[in-house]
Amino acid sequence: MVYRTGRLLSGIALAAMVGIATVSTQASAATLHMAWSQDATGLDPHKQTAFSSLRLLELVYEPLVRLDAQLQIVPAIADSWQFSKDAKELTFKLNPKAKFQNGAAVTAADVKASFERILDEKTGAAARANFLSIASIDTPDTTTVVFHLSQPDVPILTAMSDVNAAIVPASEIAAGSIGIKAVGSGPFKLDKWDPNAKEVLSANKDWAGGPTGVDGIEISVLPDEASILAAMRAKQVDFALLNDPLVATLVPKEPTLQLNREPVLAYHVLQLNPSRKPMTELKVRQAISCAIDRQEVLDTASLGEGKVTGPLTIPALATDPSALFCYKRDVEKAKKLMAEAGHADGFSATVIGATGEPPTAAAEAQVIQSQLAEIGIKLDIKMMELNVYVDAWLKGDFDMAIALNGGRADPYTMYNRYWTKAGNLQKVANYIDDTLDSLMQKGRVETDPAERKATFGEFEKHLAEVSPWIWLYTSYSYTAQQKNVEGFVPTPTGTLFSLAKVTVKQ
Amino acid sequence: MRMVRAVFSHGSGRIGGAIVGFYLLVAVLGMVGLTPHDPLAQFRIDRLHAPSAAYWMGTDLFGRDVASRLMVGVGQSFIVAFLSVAFASLAGTVLGLAAAWLGRRWDGIVMRVMDVLLAFPAILLALLIVAVAGPGTWTSVVAIGIVYTPIFTRIVRGPALSLKAREFVDAARTFGSSTHYIVTRHLLLNLVAPLTVQVTLALAWALLTEAGLSFLGLGTQPPAASLGLMLSDSRKLMETAPWLMIFPGLAIMISILGFNLLGDALRDILDPRTRRSPA
Amino acid sequence: MTYLMRRLATFPLVLLGVSILVFVAIRMVPGDAITAMLGTEAGLLTPQQRQSLAAYFGIDQPWLVQYWRWLLGVFQGNLGISVTYGRPVLDVILERFPLTLELALMSMIIALAVGVPAGIFAATRNERPSDLGVRVIAMIGQSTPSFVLGLLIIYTLSAGFGVLPAMGAFVPLWQDPLRNLGQLILPALTLGFAFAASVTRISRSAMLDVLSDDYVRTARSKGASARSVIWRHALPNALIPVVTLSGIEFGYLLGGAVIVEQVFALPGLGRMVLDAILQRDYALVQGCVLFIAFNFMIINLLVDLAYVLLDPRIRLGEQ
Repeated sequence: MVYRTGRLLSGIALAAMVGIATVSTQASAATLHMAWSQDATGLDPHKQTAFSSLRLLELVYEPLVRLDAQLQIVPAIADSWQFSKDAKELTFKLNPKAKFQNGAAVTAADVKASFERILDEKTGAAARANFLSIASIDTPDTTTVVFHLSQPDVPILTAMSDVNAAIVPASEIAAGSIGIKAVGSGPFKLDKWDPNAKEVLSANKDWAGGPTGVDGIEISVLPDEASILAAMRAKQVDFALLNDPLVATLVPKEPTLQLNREPVLAYHVLQLNPSRKPMTELKVRQAISCAIDRQEVLDTASLGEGKVTGPLTIPALATDPSALFCYKRDVEKAKKLMAEAGHADGFSATVIGATGEPPTAAAEAQVIQSQLAEIGIKLDIKMMELNVYVDAWLKGDFDMAIALNGGRADPYTMYNRYWTKAGNLQKVANYIDDTLDSLMQKGRVETDPAERKATFGEFEKHLAEVSPWIWLYTSYSYTAQQKNVEGFVPTPTGTLFSLAKVTVKQ
Repeated sequence: MRMVRAVFSHGSGRIGGAIVGFYLLVAVLGMVGLTPHDPLAQFRIDRLHAPSAAYWMGTDLFGRDVASRLMVGVGQSFIVAFLSVAFASLAGTVLGLAAAWLGRRWDGIVMRVMDVLLAFPAILLALLIVAVAGPGTWTSVVAIGIVYTPIFTRIVRGPALSLKAREFVDAARTFGSSTHYIVTRHLLLNLVAPLTVQVTLALAWALLTEAGLSFLGLGTQPPAASLGLMLSDSRKLMETAPWLMIFPGLAIMISILGFNLLGDALRDILDPRTRRSPA
Repeated sequence: MTYLMRRLATFPLVLLGVSILVFVAIRMVPGDAITAMLGTEAGLLTPQQRQSLAAYFGIDQPWLVQYWRWLLGVFQGNLGISVTYGRPVLDVILERFPLTLELALMSMIIALAVGVPAGIFAATRNERPSDLGVRVIAMIGQSTPSFVLGLLIIYTLSAGFGVLPAMGAFVPLWQDPLRNLGQLILPALTLGFAFAASVTRISRSAMLDVLSDDYVRTARSKGASARSVIWRHALPNALIPVVTLSGIEFGYLLGGAVIVEQVFALPGLGRMVLDAILQRDYALVQGCVLFIAFNFMIINLLVDLAYVLLDPRIRLGEQ
């Protein structure tokens, strides 16, 4: 394999010399021009949780393991891993070729230091909540790491595939420079970051998984997605991340452009607040569930781009949502439930939503408002700036909330924050019962895949029936690209990691 | 009545008056519910329907009738524009007169506070007000009103100061008129012209600012309609459903045209210096 | 001179007011740097984690302490550190300001070059069809929201012709003047169109005012030609409101044109403040607003000084 020199010209010259056979590898463009509408908010992989930050940091940092397009766990820094029989010990073998961008090898000591940093409350890493079962970490040699767990914890492996569990150099931790400099072991180096304007990434020649398909990536922040489409039409942008289905659905109409759409784990949901009257009553919540036509919300707000879903959005575990409670709209039943709860005349409530987050929020709220009006519920819509919304949401200060909540590859990691008795976000969910809690605990320690599926299936069925929230639909993650961009593989987590292998044909 | 006749005998006043009158009529029809369809009813089977006999201006993403929403939206936009300009011009006139009349110390205090507001970037001021108070019709009114208050204060204070110094006010004073009388009669009369021009300009601005706030998601709350909200909602559907942008866009343009023409006419009629014979 | 001193003396006072207003307002908006960074994941933090993040962002102290520290810093020329950029606020601002200044200047040049002649032309043909034509165009300019105009321009160029000046990768003037102007011309036209429309209207009405003033009538009755009446006698006076308007408008533009910067993806001051607000980057918001307010006041002062040049009868400071 001949390394590209970084100059388009030499690539072409070389291709001309060695002939047609090398064209597919050699004629790649030096740089991939990319655009997105929201920029990363910071560089500390342990602290940043925003979607846009993760998308950038995944190109620079690596976790121990990664999820592939089927959400199977595959090697990243670790070559192999193994749970002990009681699921209380997890051992990783590191890839001896793994190297940080400062030239140092990735060692067991770095892994240990990274996880200790995440667990240290002074760091302020939100992902810490997923790793609380780690009792101690052993490093028998430079390429072996053993995690001792205080209790069986199967989902912890999936949690380790997140870039929030990225391995950073122990030296950088000691120097206190994590978040100021980005030194990872991933496919690209971050050469320049001008927040809310642009990023310049160059290929990491030492990347253990290398070589990369392009010599660099230049990311421009174009805040209006309509402008991103315009820039793609004018061939200024090779590859773009899109959020708004209204814009994304225009892409296929362009002959030179291609739209990649991939169902994602995140779910659109109407969160009821069961601590607020009259949503305290089961029958009222169920009535709301029956009165909402989820398909219609999807068809109108997202132009049908997505799929109606129950609480479980992970393909391997998901069940047929039409079997769940009231997933077929039934206004008569809803009215009856309302009457039984003593609210035959309906009631008034306020639904909050974040402006543009997701872009479909206001539209979803309006469709739901019109559907609930049919059973006498008068909804007031209050759209708020994202942070104002988050503040109200975290305080549980709402009657109902339109949300797009992130999904995880493991249902326990995804939902323990809401639907367990000790969940950190119980004050947001405001509903828990013994069935939910015990099913979650059961699923956490279960190692047999079939048993796990059954357990979580039961969990999903019960959750839909007690209706603290009304799960609506999952949508797609969209990327748009010029047709000469090859090799991008979208995944349900929304990661852009496969840009590492993308090539641009001339 | 004399005023109305004067406006209608003025060339551009006639057109402007007719436009504004038409809008007011449309707004009233929208408010009493005389629209072709229910502006909130979602005919979801007819989503994004092009203009037709049933839907004169097409339907939006939800299958709501654009023509009906436009009629209601005109009312909503006019309410925001009128109230915010009323707020700003009233507050500005009172503050400006107070500053000019009370002189030195109060003048200093009022004008420095206005300087603070004026120096503060307008859209940020509106943004912060909306973020603190939560979005909604009244917040928009107050936000736009506060943003324009300093402009009115300045516009009133300047002429008020020079008028205060002019002979005829002194004369009135020597003839024993009360302060109250002097202020209302002479000052206000002489301020009517610059104020009227500013009011019509500000109405146009207010309509546009409301659109800008809606663009940033801070204006009128759905499912209510305002011209600005309809316009900013339309931008992502510009290619799929151009009628969603064209009709509210035209509606905003023509209404502002009407305000401006009317303003020009009023200025001609009221301005004591340029009082030309209405030709 | 004393006038100038007196005006300058009010600057610190007004800036102090602006700083207090922005300081309090931005903190009254719900949400903080922690929720901005973590979103709903912030709910997973333990109290101690929250505390150490608050200390990291410098928002763990009471407001008064925070303000006092910030104010002390300002006196030493230090506007604080931006948490999003990880750099001194002033550096970040000065990096973005040239674009904003250039865009504002270009828009003003377009506006004055088109607006003043058009306004005079219309005034001299008062109420004739050509006057009406100019006025209608001006009113269309004033009544088109900038995002609509901007989007239409971008859409027409990209969908119709497949061309577009480079979006995103902004190049400063001193690196590549041609490319830079190419990137700024469309946003400048978008802003300039509305600006020119206001200038046209104001210069027309000011011209009409002046033409009916006594001294112009006198000049006319003394037999001065129409042309010399307009250019020698009327124009300087008519320019006063134009200068006022342009000054104020220019001052606003120096604060950044949020919406146009958004549509054309320009990294200007306006978008930076908006992003800073959305990301609750308090130091950056405070620094930017102070900077913008200062510029605005300077421009206003220059406008007032310009009055004296245009009309010797006006003497400043007599009010």
